[in-house]
Amino acid sequence: MAIPINLPVVQPGTQARKGNFARRPEDAPENLRERTLELGAKGEWVVHRVPEPCVEVPTRSNGIKRVPLQHTWHHKSCGQCGHIPGYSTSIFWLHRKLGLEYNDPRDQTSCTAWNYYASATSNQAAQAAVAMRNFAAAYETGYFPQIHCATSYGHYKEVRAEMVHHKELREQVRGILAKMGKPLVMPEEIVHYSEWVYAVRHEIAKRKVLDLSQITVTVHPACHYYKLVQEDAIYDPDVYGGQRTAVVTAVAQALGATVGDYSTWFDCCGFGFRHILVQRDFSRSFAVQRKIEAMRDEVNPDVTLTHDTGCVTTLDKSQFAAQAHQGVKAAIPVLSEAQFAALGMGAHPYRVCQLHWHAADYRPLLEKMGIDWRERWREFEDDVERLKANPGSFLTWEDADGEWAVPAAHPDHVKHGGR
Amino acid sequence: MSSDTLLIIGGGPAGLEAARGAADLGCKTILVERLSRLGGTPISANYAALTHGMRDASEVMGEMIAAVDGDPLVDIRLNTSVTACSGAAGDFSVTLTRGGTDETVSVGAVIVATGFEHFDPGRANQQYGYYMYDDVLTLQDAEKMLKEKNFVRPSTGKPPERVCFIQCVGSRDRRIGNEYCSKVCCGVASKQAIEIRQLLPNCRVFIFYIDMRMYGYWENEIYWPAQEKYKVSYIKGVISEIVMKGDRLMIRGEDTTMNRPMEVPMDIVILSNGMEPSGGTKAIATTLGLRQNTYGFINVAHDTLDPVSTSVPGVFVAGAAAGPKDLDDTMGMAGAATMKAVGAIRRMARGAAIKA
Amino acid sequence: MTERAQLASQVPDSEKERLFNEVKADLRFGDYLYGCYECGICVAVCPSARFYDFSPRRIAQAVAREDVELVWEQMNGEVWECSQCFSCLLCPRGNNPGGIITIMREVAVKNGLHSAQQALEGYTRIIYKIMSTGTQVSPDMIRPEAFPDWGPTAKETADNLEVWRRAMPPDTMHTTSASWEVDDKTLTELYLIWHLSGVLDMIKALDESLHMILVDVMEEKLEEAGYPLS
Repeated sequence: MAIPINLPVVQPGTQARKGNFARRPEDAPENLRERTLELGAKGEWVVHRVPEPCVEVPTRSNGIKRVPLQHTWHHKSCGQCGHIPGYSTSIFWLHRKLGLEYNDPRDQTSCTAWNYYASATSNQAAQAAVAMRNFAAAYETGYFPQIHCATSYGHYKEVRAEMVHHKELREQVRGILAKMGKPLVMPEEIVHYSEWVYAVRHEIAKRKVLDLSQITVTVHPACHYYKLVQEDAIYDPDVYGGQRTAVVTAVAQALGATVGDYSTWFDCCGFGFRHILVQRDFSRSFAVQRKIEAMRDEVNPDVTLTHDTGCVTTLDKSQFAAQAHQGVKAAIPVLSEAQFAALGMGAHPYRVCQLHWHAADYRPLLEKMGIDWRERWREFEDDVERLKANPGSFLTWEDADGEWAVPAAHPDHVKHGGR
Repeated sequence: MSSDTLLIIGGGPAGLEAARGAADLGCKTILVERLSRLGGTPISANYAALTHGMRDASEVMGEMIAAVDGDPLVDIRLNTSVTACSGAAGDFSVTLTRGGTDETVSVGAVIVATGFEHFDPGRANQQYGYYMYDDVLTLQDAEKMLKEKNFVRPSTGKPPERVCFIQCVGSRDRRIGNEYCSKVCCGVASKQAIEIRQLLPNCRVFIFYIDMRMYGYWENEIYWPAQEKYKVSYIKGVISEIVMKGDRLMIRGEDTTMNRPMEVPMDIVILSNGMEPSGGTKAIATTLGLRQNTYGFINVAHDTLDPVSTSVPGVFVAGAAAGPKDLDDTMGMAGAATMKAVGAIRRMARGAAIKA
Repeated sequence: MTERAQLASQVPDSEKERLFNEVKADLRFGDYLYGCYECGICVAVCPSARFYDFSPRRIAQAVAREDVELVWEQMNGEVWECSQCFSCLLCPRGNNPGGIITIMREVAVKNGLHSAQQALEGYTRIIYKIMSTGTQVSPDMIRPEAFPDWGPTAKETADNLEVWRRAMPPDTMHTTSASWEVDDKTLTELYLIWHLSGVLDMIKALDESLHMILVDVMEEKLEEAGYPLS
């Protein structure tokens, strides 16, 4: 492999230079949480209240968002579970390790927004009804929705705004839900899993078993997290001077990694919804030319972290073809911050983080993190042989935390989770 | 029982001009200023030169202060705030607070001249990172350096080779909630562009705009010279984001007239931040019970036909407390407000009812 | 004359007008388009504008000017180039060009425009997947022939799919034909939504055979659950 002649200098670009920017309450735009509660008081719908304990986090519009720590209903992501399953598994694993109970439902459909943004073979009422069906299903269990996918999260916030603003839409969706015997339910907050990770980042850092101070990361923020409905995304005065969303970055910093800044930070990944499935020349070119190459030239990170299904998929899967054509440059591994945090807390790279589903080579990263991936892979292959020999058997959470583990900083006393 | 005294709140251009006019008309005036000195925003925000004529701001404000300072009819109260008000036109009872001590005065009419504040670009809807980058400035940051004739990149202390202005930051923006045009930023940016070119003839200067609003004589006095003599580049297209590339800023936008995307390195980016009602304006509106518009500026009877009467009879407004105003507007309003306020006091002294 | 121009000349103005009115009649339209400054901020942040001859500004302008002819052309072409990332929501006027495009695409699908059918060629299997299983993608979609550009991982995944799916702890995820296990009752409720909200009619306009297959899948379940289909 060629040695780069000009090693890029990493500029920690996350500190405010002019002091921190504080937002004022009077500048907040319409507060949809308050409108949700008002409509609840009028009997228009049931408001699913955030369960205690919760963490109050700062948002872009100077609001305070209440992020529940546990008793959460995990609105899974089809792209995560389907193609990068270590993403979902890591989120669950973090909950278990922190002793926070959750519900992993089967009474959940996808938000169907990937299809909607790809093909428009749906409409406003159908999209709202899918969202409200899932919310009602969560309410029936008493567990509060935590949404794994940024597109689901952004789309549900669109739905919330439309439902708040248009009575006729509420009536139409109410009618559809009534047919299946479900009430109209709106959660008090719409919460993305990366907001939960942000909220528990110091707890994660306390349980860290690997030294990540030599690891340099770049962050790709998800468009549908902070652009689609921007008001209640997390903006923290201590991260980027309160000028960019703080999720992911704050987590990487809490874990002791260096976050390098690059000039296409705000750019989309190139997912494109339709494009990633049937017009991938666009997704590949955009992801590699705009994002990956800028990261490599300007930061040369050990890994890039993001917090959404589409972004991990596009950035991870798009690098192989470019490498094959250009032949020289090493890939940048792509992980969710949940996977990165789990690895830092000693999660098994294959049993938990399921890195064998990733396309960009992550092994140099694991080596730098001090993880013996060869030994871990051998263990996983043993698992696979055992599973092959026993049709109908599955890897369990107990297996995932089996003999191999790096001694945990804190004992695991989780006895629940899943169903 | 009516009072023959006029209360003017705010010691900036509008308040000073109103006090001068009232004294000329022989009316007793109390001029209240929250800060420890007169002169208002042109002084507190370090303005360099004022349009028209590009005269030195401290010199101009010095003349305005000298016109009232020492006038026996003008009672100047510094470090003082208006904290309560009762009564009605002709006989307001107003509490003035200075260092924790209250004094109640009786006044016949009030002129509010509490002005504006500059939009805080931390709130910009676009991705400008004002609080992240040393070399991203506001018009006021730039004005201060221009006043000192030392225009350099704050990050390096060296003169810049490429500078740009981004217009309409915090103005004309539905997402921020400031739908109005702040009126002065096009002129101020162009003025500063000229000053930068005068100081640094080798520095390229760009102005990225939505519409250049250089009405009246600003066109021939500023806009044309900026383009023709000082070769300032005007590009129609608003910048979406400012990032770092290497040790330089980089801006992104669309050059809309050429139909092509731009990614341009810059040494300094100046955000042309607009006007918002000052904290003093919002506070005094509450104290005096004045109706405010949706942005917090003070409502007037009619923006064209009576731009100085407020919703409370006997209380008038001058300058940017009533919305985005340039100095031309402000001086005109100060005269009109003085005429109406002194007129009201005199009419009530004659026993006649105030006319709105 | 380009193919599209030829087609355009065959479509009567009244038909173009009707489609445009359908766009404007959407409940969201008033929240998605105010006016346009031509400031270009939407283009500056647009990934598709860097790759295609595509401009969210042109779309917003055409719609704002009520240029029925141009809107019709865009509805039959560039709307499908949009990435739907919604970066364009930076618009100072509060416009949502991406949202306008969503509505324009919806009208194109609903009216069975040939251009929509072309744009979604090869995509219908995914519509089938999401509508019938409740999850958009599934593990068994990763086939090396479908994703040759994803490298050797695609083949390894496909070769080991069944056992790899069992080799993960969450018990909802031991699936191959859906992303996770969705309850039958849940699926039936989803089918009911498609049925009651007019989505099946849209599919019928887009692709009759897909519609037939979907109706087949759904009818039985809906009837079993006692939902009337008429």
